[in-house]
Amino acid sequence: MTGQEIRSIVIAGGGTAGWMTATALSLLLPKTAQITLIESDEIGTVGVGEATIPPIVGFNQMLGIDENAFLKATNGTFKLGIEFDGWGAAHRRYMHPFGSYGTDMKGIRFHQFYLALKQAGVADLGRLEDYSLCATAAYQGRFLRPEGPVGEVLSTLKYAFHFDASLYAQFLRQRSERQGVRRLEGKIDAVELNTDTGHIASVSLEGGAVIAGDLFIDCTGFRGLLIEGALNTGYEDWRHWLPCDRAWAVPCAAVAPPIPYTRSTADAAGWRWRIPLQHRTGNGYVFASEFISEADARARLLANLDGEPLAEPRLLKFVTGRRKLAWNRNCVAIGLSAGFLEPLESTSIHLIQSAISKLVALFPDLRFTAAERDEYNQQTATDFEHVRDFIIAHYKVGDRADTPFWAHCRAIAAPQSLERKLALYRHRGRLVRHDDELFAEQSWLAVLDGQGIEPYGHDPLVDALPYDQMRENVGHIRKAVGAAAGALPTHQAFIDRFCRADAAARFS
Amino acid sequence: MQIQDTLKKIAIVGGGTAGWMTAAALAKVLGPHYAQIELIESDEIGTVGVGEATIPQINIFNRMLGLDENEFVRKTKATFKLGIEFVDWDRPGQRYFHPFGPYGVDMNGVSFHAFWLKLQTLGVNDSINDYNLQAVAAREGKFMRAQAAAPNSPAGKIAHAFHFDAGLYARFLRDYAQQRGVRRHEGRIVDVQLNLDNGFIDAVVVEDGRRFEADLFIDCTGFRGLLIGHALGSTYEDFSHWLPCDRAIAVPCAKVADPIPYTRATAGPAGWRWRIPLQHRTGNGHVYSSKFIDDQAALDQLLAGLDGPPTAEPRMLKFQTGRRTEFWKKNCVAIGLSSGFLEPLESTSIHLIQSGIAKLLQLFPDRGFEPADINYYNVLSAEEFDFVRDFIILHYRITQRDDTPFWRYLRTMPIPDRLQRKIDIFESRGRIFRENEELFNDTSWFAVMIGQGLRPRGFDSVASSVPDDEVIARLANIKATIAQTSRRMPTHADYIRDNCAAENEPA
Repeated sequence: MTGQEIRSIVIAGGGTAGWMTATALSLLLPKTAQITLIESDEIGTVGVGEATIPPIVGFNQMLGIDENAFLKATNGTFKLGIEFDGWGAAHRRYMHPFGSYGTDMKGIRFHQFYLALKQAGVADLGRLEDYSLCATAAYQGRFLRPEGPVGEVLSTLKYAFHFDASLYAQFLRQRSERQGVRRLEGKIDAVELNTDTGHIASVSLEGGAVIAGDLFIDCTGFRGLLIEGALNTGYEDWRHWLPCDRAWAVPCAAVAPPIPYTRSTADAAGWRWRIPLQHRTGNGYVFASEFISEADARARLLANLDGEPLAEPRLLKFVTGRRKLAWNRNCVAIGLSAGFLEPLESTSIHLIQSAISKLVALFPDLRFTAAERDEYNQQTATDFEHVRDFIIAHYKVGDRADTPFWAHCRAIAAPQSLERKLALYRHRGRLVRHDDELFAEQSWLAVLDGQGIEPYGHDPLVDALPYDQMRENVGHIRKAVGAAAGALPTHQAFIDRFCRADAAARFS
Repeated sequence: MQIQDTLKKIAIVGGGTAGWMTAAALAKVLGPHYAQIELIESDEIGTVGVGEATIPQINIFNRMLGLDENEFVRKTKATFKLGIEFVDWDRPGQRYFHPFGPYGVDMNGVSFHAFWLKLQTLGVNDSINDYNLQAVAAREGKFMRAQAAAPNSPAGKIAHAFHFDAGLYARFLRDYAQQRGVRRHEGRIVDVQLNLDNGFIDAVVVEDGRRFEADLFIDCTGFRGLLIGHALGSTYEDFSHWLPCDRAIAVPCAKVADPIPYTRATAGPAGWRWRIPLQHRTGNGHVYSSKFIDDQAALDQLLAGLDGPPTAEPRMLKFQTGRRTEFWKKNCVAIGLSSGFLEPLESTSIHLIQSGIAKLLQLFPDRGFEPADINYYNVLSAEEFDFVRDFIILHYRITQRDDTPFWRYLRTMPIPDRLQRKIDIFESRGRIFRENEELFNDTSWFAVMIGQGLRPRGFDSVASSVPDDEVIARLANIKATIAQTSRRMPTHADYIRDNCAAENEPA
């Protein structure tokens, strides 16, 4: 031992970010580090109905969480993808499914065969999503966890969850406390810096308690009480790329069994989410205040609910972008304090989880060397930028220009990294994944195809194969996917069997 | 129904390893009816290929071609390779091994090497080599291929590459490609004709006036880059301020003992010497910087270090370390030395060829030649060269040697920022992050950093959360399993004799 180990970690703020961090650190770090989490019951957390993406399955496993118990405790449902309604053009809809499309052949991606046949005028190909088991099952309201060896059609199922974020935080709080995390109730009203190093020395709570620590994790949400309030780190504003800056959120009663996917519906000046839970449905409207008033946005949200609203709508304000340094001095910002990207691709929880993994991989000691901090900041910036580009693609690509908001989005100058991707896809439907980016080729394919890009050509290597054989293979795949989907249990039946919550709604 | 403007004719200019690897791969993937593939080479022009050492990725290439490995080994008089031994790099008299395959097993989501670093603080002082089956087997002169029947034991995961005669490899692939319809033409290129409208290459012309037109040209003309450089003007980015070696002398020598299953790289006063064991002889070479040593002295050092009598006249090669700024320009793709040169310290020459071919297939053009595809090919290729470059610089940079002006220069020169960041991160806690699609993974970086004497100040905190006695017990167990596995393996010489001895080898 070097004698330089971190002995005390202070997590400022509970909520999803705070408790995810507390659970992971208390499990993975040596027991010699004392972890304290400070939160106030008075401060609401942003967490509403949350939708996630498949890496959360691995995160829960790493924490040793039993998946069925977790879903039962959080009124959770399964998710096979996101449906985008009205995005590429009014009335067009498509699914961004998890999992793959068809089967690659001869080292060439499946969609290249699909494209080649389509460009050759083959009429009965159906839609690309007919070749995705996740998409097909989602539309039919069916679900199963993946099974069978790689190569079998049922192994292509990939899933994530919808759950109640505050129940997830509570669930994790219990685990954290069992793993030795100390929770303090209180509101932070001051942050004291060490005058020599500029590091955070302690935080003071209302009522006078002073909590000192070696490492501070800022989970205080948008405000960034430590990272910004105390350390003035600075924020990179991305609103010129992504103009939405407000969201209304409201739960409503469930009127039918939960569907196994999130829905995102494009609207006049933003988009509406719909997240099905076991007992109710989460809804929201993400919008740009420059293009619609708060009152009008609220009215549009309420007019489009499919059940009775169960609470007063809550308004959130945000600035899309990222903290210039997610780790500054002895403070690491995790969650909304590190940056904000609208939840169009359900990445909020993922960005928390990926921050935690990076922090564990680069965990500091009392010397807080620049090498580790710089690496962390660089990787974080890259993660945020990849997600940002993917979200911009939804706004930028397509034909909608029917309102000033959509006309504005269409004209956005995309970052160079995105332009390169779009050019490769437009010409020959090529998809490239760079730098371990979160969204893999299949995701880009779903969105670029769904938004309506028709590539001019296809991979010339496809032409090395006879078209008749290609057509036959593709036909077989479509049949196999359809047959497999039809044989799956319904989502509701699956939930009832494995993880039905006490609060679950009943449908007769 | 073929609606695209597919390539009808592809001309590969230059034979050698790069030319015939490309020809074989294109013939295999495109099949017999897609395009006519022509390869133009001249018997007068020697190829650079000598004894070549490779890395395990070559197995992917050979599998793609559907080669029978024993036949390939026999025909190229090859031996197996489990890694590289580096001698005198950190300081004279010191040696270390860069093995293929990982060390130990990762635990709790943390790299194995973090636990080994922790172990070294617990009063156990052992070699990281003991935790890698390839390294242990190499030390004991043992070899066998991964045992499919034991997928979870170290024996199921043995990673190997080859040493082979590059001339014979090219010959072997030439037969393969010609059987699949590639047409070979003999001739020395005297002219490259460009299209006046778009600057594309229309044709190449050989001495006797024959003219070869094609839609796509592959430049495999070696250092000269006759098409990509001379005709199309793709500029060359020089790396010699980081890697000052600019010459090599190669000479084969008689074999004096059974071949060892690894390459050896021995550092000298102004460069380093390679030793590549084949079945019938040993390949040797001296890579050096002409700024720091003259040719005669370099030759003397090479000959003095041979372990058998030389069997041919030494040959000298001159090179400039660096790479093209554009690897693919217009309708011409440079593959092999025409695309750039990095000294073979980590046996990457053949890999860079193979990776050029893989990228070309990934972004295969038609007669439209999309700029988006070409750009991306160039971005990926530049990145790949730069990653390998950084890894090679590392060997020169982290050293205690200051015994000659050559080493004093290398120890103190400025290095690329990304490499500096990697070194800083490692020095802090022994951490290594593999970037993007970087060729060398964390085992490789760890082997070289530790081997050359870099010591981190601490180790990963997650490793420290595992109790000391558990770490001691687990690692002792891994080490014992590996030692036991190696003991049961046949010797390298026996393995070759029983499976793939070259024909003129006495059995």
